[in-house]
Formats: sequence, C-alpha cells, structure tokens
Amino acid sequence: MNLTGLQPEMIRSELTEIVGDSYVSTDDSDRLVYSTDWFWLPQMWLDRGEVPRKPDYIVRPKNAEEVSAILKIANSYRIPVIPWGGGSGSQGGALPVFGGIILDTKRMNRILEIDEKSLTVTAEAGINGKQLEWAVNEKGLMLPHYPASANCATLGGYLAPRGTGTISNKYGKAEDLVLRMQVVLPDGHILRTPIVPQHASGPDFYRLFLGAEGTFGVITEATMQLDYLPECRLLRAVLFDDLTNALEAGRQIMTRRLDPFVIRLYDPRSTASRVKKILGYELEGAYMVLGFDGDEEIAILQERKAMEIIGQFGAQDLGREPGEAWWNHRYDFYYPPQSLKLPWMYGTTETVTTYDKIEKLYFAEKKAVEEGYKEWDVDFIGHFSHWFHWGVMVYTRFIIQNPPDDAREAVRLHNRIWNTAMTAVLENGGMVNEHHGVGLKLSRFMRRQYGDAWPLLERIKKTLDPNGIMNPGKVGFGH
Amino acid sequence: MCRHVAPVGHVTHNESVTPHGIALVASMQRQGTLTWTPSALQVLYAEPDGGNCRAHCVTDQPLPAAIAAIRAEVAAEGLAPSEVSQVNDQILSNQSIFGSYKPTSVQGEWGLFVGDAGFNLSSSTMQAALQLLSICGIEAVPVGCGLDSGFIPCSLGYPDTARMQAKLCIDEIQRVGVKKLLVLSPQDLFAFGQMYEERLGVTWPDEVVLIDLVEFMADRVQAEHYKGAISTEKTNDFIAYVDPTHAVRLPARLDAARTLCKVALGVAPMELFWRRERAHPVGSTAIQFTRPDIGIKLTESRIQDAMDQGAQALLCDDPATLHELHLRNQSPMRVQGLYELLIEQLGKK
Repeated sequence: MNLTGLQPEMIRSELTEIVGDSYVSTDDSDRLVYSTDWFWLPQMWLDRGEVPRKPDYIVRPKNAEEVSAILKIANSYRIPVIPWGGGSGSQGGALPVFGGIILDTKRMNRILEIDEKSLTVTAEAGINGKQLEWAVNEKGLMLPHYPASANCATLGGYLAPRGTGTISNKYGKAEDLVLRMQVVLPDGHILRTPIVPQHASGPDFYRLFLGAEGTFGVITEATMQLDYLPECRLLRAVLFDDLTNALEAGRQIMTRRLDPFVIRLYDPRSTASRVKKILGYELEGAYMVLGFDGDEEIAILQERKAMEIIGQFGAQDLGREPGEAWWNHRYDFYYPPQSLKLPWMYGTTETVTTYDKIEKLYFAEKKAVEEGYKEWDVDFIGHFSHWFHWGVMVYTRFIIQNPPDDAREAVRLHNRIWNTAMTAVLENGGMVNEHHGVGLKLSRFMRRQYGDAWPLLERIKKTLDPNGIMNPGKVGFGH
Repeated sequence: MCRHVAPVGHVTHNESVTPHGIALVASMQRQGTLTWTPSALQVLYAEPDGGNCRAHCVTDQPLPAAIAAIRAEVAAEGLAPSEVSQVNDQILSNQSIFGSYKPTSVQGEWGLFVGDAGFNLSSSTMQAALQLLSICGIEAVPVGCGLDSGFIPCSLGYPDTARMQAKLCIDEIQRVGVKKLLVLSPQDLFAFGQMYEERLGVTWPDEVVLIDLVEFMADRVQAEHYKGAISTEKTNDFIAYVDPTHAVRLPARLDAARTLCKVALGVAPMELFWRRERAHPVGSTAIQFTRPDIGIKLTESRIQDAMDQGAQALLCDDPATLHELHLRNQSPMRVQGLYELLIEQLGKK
C-alpha cells in the first residue's frame, strides 16, 4: 500500500478523532518496533541491517466501539488492519506485510467480571496474560493456560492462533477454555457469541474466530473458564532407553485417562543437548517429565498408576527433583541467554497427529531435514508436549549455527527447509501447526492442508471481509 | 519478555516503551536501521530504571544497566536531549537536583543517609525517622543531606558524574566516622549496595555496614524496643501500603515495611494489586525530568490502584515516593508517611 500526498494526513486525522492524538502514532521508531514480532525472518532481516515493511499507523483503541470505527475507516480507504496483542507470536501473524494500521489492543485491558460460582472470568482482549492470571489467583483461581509467552501475550493473543499452554493435557487448549467472545467484524459490526459454547442451538460459529488470527475480525472481549488453584502439583522425571517405548507409555497414560497436567517427552537429541544445557542433567535416552495436580490423594493415585505403566516399559525413575527442576525452569528454554538466538537460523516446525501416525511422522520429518540440509550441519531436535486422548503434538526444531550471512540467501534457505519439513508433515498425516498458529510463515501451506475444504474458508473470508482489509497475507488468505 | 511488569508499558500501552521495545530500538540503532532522532530518543529515555524488568527476568538479564550504558553512549556523542543534559549540569554544579547539599561536620558511629529527596522534598520523613531512632537509643548523624547518591546521573548516562557523586557520599560518610549507615531511601540503598559495583565499578567501603532503615525499624519493633510506647488502638480505616520505587530491588524490605505498618495501624495494611515483588514505581526517578508525561502517569496509576481497592489512605516510607504521591493526589484519599504515623501513634500514647 502506498499512501501519498494528502491521504495519509486525512487518515491520521480521522483516526485521531476516534482515539485521541495520544493513541495514534506515526513516529518512525514506533513504526520500526511494530514492524516485527518473534518470527525468525523479520528478526533476522533486522539483525542483518535490513528494514522490514513498517506499518503506516499504530492505533490504540480503548473499546470495541473504537475498534469498530477504525475498521470502518480502514474499509473506506481500503487500508490493511493488523490486530496486535503482545507481539509475541512466532509465525509473523502480526507483521504489517502490506503496511496499514497496527491495531494495538493493549488499552483494552479491563477485567469485567470474575464469577466465583461459575468459575469464569470476563476480560477485554488486550489484557496481559500474566496480569490476568495474578488477578484470578487473588481469588484462589487460575486460568489454566500457561504458555511460555504468558508474560508478554494478551488474552486475545491466546485465542486468535488457538494457543496451547504447558498444562494443556488436563485443562485443554486456550480455545477449549473460552465460553463467549465479543468480536468486531471487518465491516465494524460488533457481535457477542452465545453465552455458553456447549449447546444444541445451532452451529458452533464462534469457533470461526479462533485460529483466524484476525483475518475474520478482532476479538475484543472473552469469557474464559477458570479452575481452582490446585491443592498440590506432583512432578517427577523418568528416563526411557528409546523414544518408541516412551511414546507408547505416554499414549497409555492418556488413553487410560490418568489425567496428567503435563507430559513432556524430550527426544534423545534434545535430552542430550537442551536438557543438559538448561537443567544440567547428562542423560542418554528420552527424558520425560510427568505432572499430576489437584486433590492430593487423587494426584498421588494417578501418579502411582502412571508409574506402573512406565515401569512396564523399563524406564528409570529419576525422582521428583528433576521433575520439579524442569517445572521451575520450563520457560528458561525460551528466554535469553538459553534460547536459540541470532545469527543462528532456527524454526519450530511443531505439528500434531494421531498416535498411530506420530512416530512415523517424527522420523520422516527428521530424516528429510537432516538429510536434505546436511551441508548446513543442521541440528534437528524435538519434544512431545501436548497430549490428547487421540494423539500428541511434536515440537520439532531445526537449528543451523552458521547460516548464510546474506539476508536474502538466508530467507531462501529458511523457506526451503520449511518446505521440506511441511511436506514431510503433510505427507504423514500431520497438521502444519498445533499451537503457534499459521501467520505469514505457514500461509502458503494452507491450501495443501485443507484441500477440498479450502474454498469454503475462502468464501467465508470473502463474505466477512470483502475488501480484504483484515490482516492480509496471513492464514492462507491472499495466496 | 517482562511485559507483565513493565510499568511504562502499562500506563502508555505502547510496545515501543517497554524494555523489549527499547532494546529493539537500541539494537536497530546499532544495526544502522535507525538513527537517534528526537522520537527515538523519547523512547530511550522512557524507561524509569525502577528494576522491575530485572526483578522479573526469567534469566536475570541486566537490562536496566544496559539501557543506562546506551544512554551513556548517546550522552558521550552529545546527542542527549537538553532536558537530560540539564539534569546533569544541575548535579555538577549543586550535587543536588531538588535543592542544595549541606555537608555535616558532626561525628558519629551511626549515620542516617538522608539524600536529596529526603532533605529537599520531604524533610518530615527524615525528622520522624531521627526521632524514632532516638527513642530506641540511636543518635544517628544525618549525612548526605541534599546529596544525590549518583543514581540519577548514572541512570541518565553520565557515569563520570555518578562516580563523583559516589565519591562525595563515601567521603562524607568516612569523614563523619560512620560505621553503621541507615539509609532512608530505597533508591540510595540500591545505589550504594548494587549500582556502585555493577554499573560504576565503585567499591563500597568494607568498614561501613549498609542498613535499610525500614528493616532496622521492623527489627527494633519486633525486639519490643517500643513496647508500651505506641498506641495499640486499631484503625477502622482502609489503609494501604505503597511499596516505593525500587522496592523490587530490595526484597528484604517488603515484609519489614508491613511489620511497621501493622504496628502503626494495629492491623495489617491493605494490599494493592501492584505490590511486593511486582510493585510498580511512581514517577520519582529520572523519568520525572526526561518524560514527565509518563512520570505523572506512573504516579497517578499507583493512586488509581489504591482507589480501585477502596483505600482511604496510603502509607509509604520513601521520601521521594511520598513527595510524588502528595503532588499528584487529587482524590479524597490521604497520603501519609509511615514514620510520621508512628511518631503520631507515640504521641497518642
């Protein structure tokens, strides 16, 4: 989008009329800061001294009515609008790839109600995740969605890409915790979904906005399910000789509904590298952390039953301390100085599929990446961390310590590796993503992912957003 | 990724003035994709240096010190905005920002470091503290009256000025013969106990023991030095304690301050949302000069937090925090010094 002459000032003045001068910015430093999220590509681009596409405006509305008015202006000028929460996404979902308006939701940060009887919280979508958690903790409650990004991400950012947190095994993904949402549609219409999600009063249309990453509208408010803070959290670590046995043990624990709040299984390569580096344990094999919480008597019993299963697979019980150490340092894996960092090249090709396919998928992807990029000395590591009754997510990562210095060459190599990885995933029955979302990074794979169903999504997009203003270039729309 | 405790981010809702945003702007400047334009400098000087990001950093990254170092580069290149360099000039000529520095010639083993704000902005706090000490048999010599400890120039990127201030502080303390130094303000205690070593390479003299006044008073209260002297009447008011600016850098003081409040009120104080380990600063650091708009918002948001909880009065022990709260409070809520309240309670008895 190229704004020239009088037009940029006209738009600015109209935006200022809605939110006030303090909440519209066109400062160059602000525009640069909002030109990147945590996607490796723009970070690398900046690191190599290049400038990514900047937004034209950053606007901070205070409520749904202001969001509605902004979207109406954007439609009249055909300007892109990119919803922005904490900017912690790793998929480029908040990048202003065509310029336009960054709609920063953080001013919409009020907690509207904590219902201690129904155990729900209703809050505006721009509230910081950790802040929301602290507020409900004061009532002895928790919002059981603990992503590594909670310190940074917003409630809207939990929902827009269908995020998953550390304790999802028991409590579900963010999308499983939402009862109701307020959404502003691309034309500015404000709607509220029905009061509860489980009913037989028509289709489950509210789910359209979960995973749409702002392409179908802006989530401005949500009612979320809470839980009581657990009486206890029991953590323990075990070590398997091989991944096959570990996966089968995990499957049996889940399918027998022993209800662990976490099972984190590191592949042997991750055990030898990341677990050693961050937790300091030198182990050979597949390291698994198990956690049970809630009522202490029940948690002890669940843990005992799980350990019986684990014992059948010959795993070594490492005791509580390594499990608790992992829990206490679980986010260190993702923060400096322990996190992967530039100038390295890295990407998290996480995926999910059913138990019957997961092992084959993991080894197929590992082989494709390791053999395909041997000359780059690629490291391929993974862990299995979000377990369902029917399958499990694998969080695989590729790491290249000496990528090309040239930014454009680096982009090409990065995208080739992603093509290889996603082809292996799709050919082996996986989804292109389980919890980070699609964003810009995976947008080009959506047509292949959905096949015959894709035109339906495109038709919905066209109906809701005929001018294509909402977060263009993301989630497969515009490809 | 300390956005959840980034006070400036919370009051501005602007990504650019969070520690992450400031670090990004600095790194873009290093990469040559951004120059220090007036708007970029506005970002660089929007960080209050209250310690929240470091206190909550998952891996203890010293970002506030890194920001101070970048500001030093900017100042060295002569690019610092005039409102920043004027603060430095003021300290160079007066050794004080808020008024004047009055060195003492009295000798004593016990000293009370009063500092700039304690002497020039909120002297009732100093008087009350000296009175409380005297009641329990400590005749402390007020030192550093009106003297900036070096925190402000260091935070603004003038380490040489900060070292000169540090030397003045240490020289006066040694000249007076102080061996046990009680410190009135958390900002000065942070400067002496952490900042000198970490950011300035200045070693604190081994023979002088640093003591947080709040912790000392709480110990004395628990040791029953004031037994029978303080009124035991319980307040019926809703009174909250505001953890002062820098409290997150001095975790030992968090419980101590509440112990004193309980003595003064007869009941535990109300707790605010942004309290203890997640306490937010008021606009009492250098931000009051560099970004007064943000400084005011920081103070107003502390007042709003207390009003949201239904507080009728706010207590604090730090002269600089008290001054800011008094200055910005337009609500019916009272703002009162903790030491002053303790003295009042002694009077009632």
